[in-house]
Amino acid sequence: MHRLIRATLLIPLLLLAACATQTASRAPDTDLSSLKTFYVARLPADHRGIQQLISARLQQLGYRSTWGDAQTSPSPVDAVITYQDRWMWDITMYMIRLDVQVRDGRTGAILAYGEVTRPSLQRKSPQGMVDQTLGELFK
Amino acid sequence: MKKQARNGVVLALVAAAALTAGCATPSKPDEMVATPATVVHRNSDSVSVAVSGGKETNPMWTSQISSDAFAEALRDSIQKSGLFGSVTDGGGSYKLNAFLGKVDQPLFGLSMTVKMEVSYTLVDTRSGKTVWQKDIASQYTAHPSDAFVAVKRLRLANEGAARANIQQAIAEMSTLSL
Repeated sequence: MHRLIRATLLIPLLLLAACATQTASRAPDTDLSSLKTFYVARLPADHRGIQQLISARLQQLGYRSTWGDAQTSPSPVDAVITYQDRWMWDITMYMIRLDVQVRDGRTGAILAYGEVTRPSLQRKSPQGMVDQTLGELFK
Repeated sequence: MKKQARNGVVLALVAAAALTAGCATPSKPDEMVATPATVVHRNSDSVSVAVSGGKETNPMWTSQISSDAFAEALRDSIQKSGLFGSVTDGGGSYKLNAFLGKVDQPLFGLSMTVKMEVSYTLVDTRSGKTVWQKDIASQYTAHPSDAFVAVKRLRLANEGAARANIQQAIAEMSTLSL
């Protein structure tokens, strides 16, 4: 009987183990290659330091990047990065989805976004999620 | 003991059913059409609409808003509001671009709130000048009383956020003296 219970509980688990997806899109006439300086605005609910990972990755990609708690950059920049990270628990906590928006540094309008979703069986570290999302955005 | 085990099976089946009930369906254009509001300035010229940034729905995952569905809702909303003389498929006196830059959805929850941001640009196609540009944020919360099944609740939240966004865009555009 216990086997039956376990087998039944596996059904949602199997369905939740969907495929990983990644998408990115740009507003018409947007040229991300013209952006050189970035400011990553920390999501107020984020206490895991995802903004630092994003900023560090941008620097590795050759951009000038800073980060902070303010939602707008204290000094003029070409673009402001905002993000939303979603976490799930499956034995341990893992990031299931990361959304990143590139905003015009002057107007705040969204110029482009990237999104990566990786369910439990295909989970990556936060660093891996950041690398994949920015890779998709700036490719 | 046997009765406890049977109850366990029933509970597990109910949990499985609740988690997996139904497939995700895309957001419907009809449900995203904004309610006509008072238009301050009407324009007799024509406008064409182009939408990008939307996502297709994977039935095994979550409900999304496609570019085509949002474009249809935006066209119908403009037509109903009487903001422009006509809405064409292309080549109008004005072109309205909408970029769905952010659709922030919850993964689960009883009350589901979708937060959305759309970047609008209205261009006068005769002069090539941008006459209006705005990033509009909106949100909508769907409650269990709106729909018991989570996938439907998320779709309703998507549609509500899109409807509110379009409504706000039309209200803003209606203040323009074109």
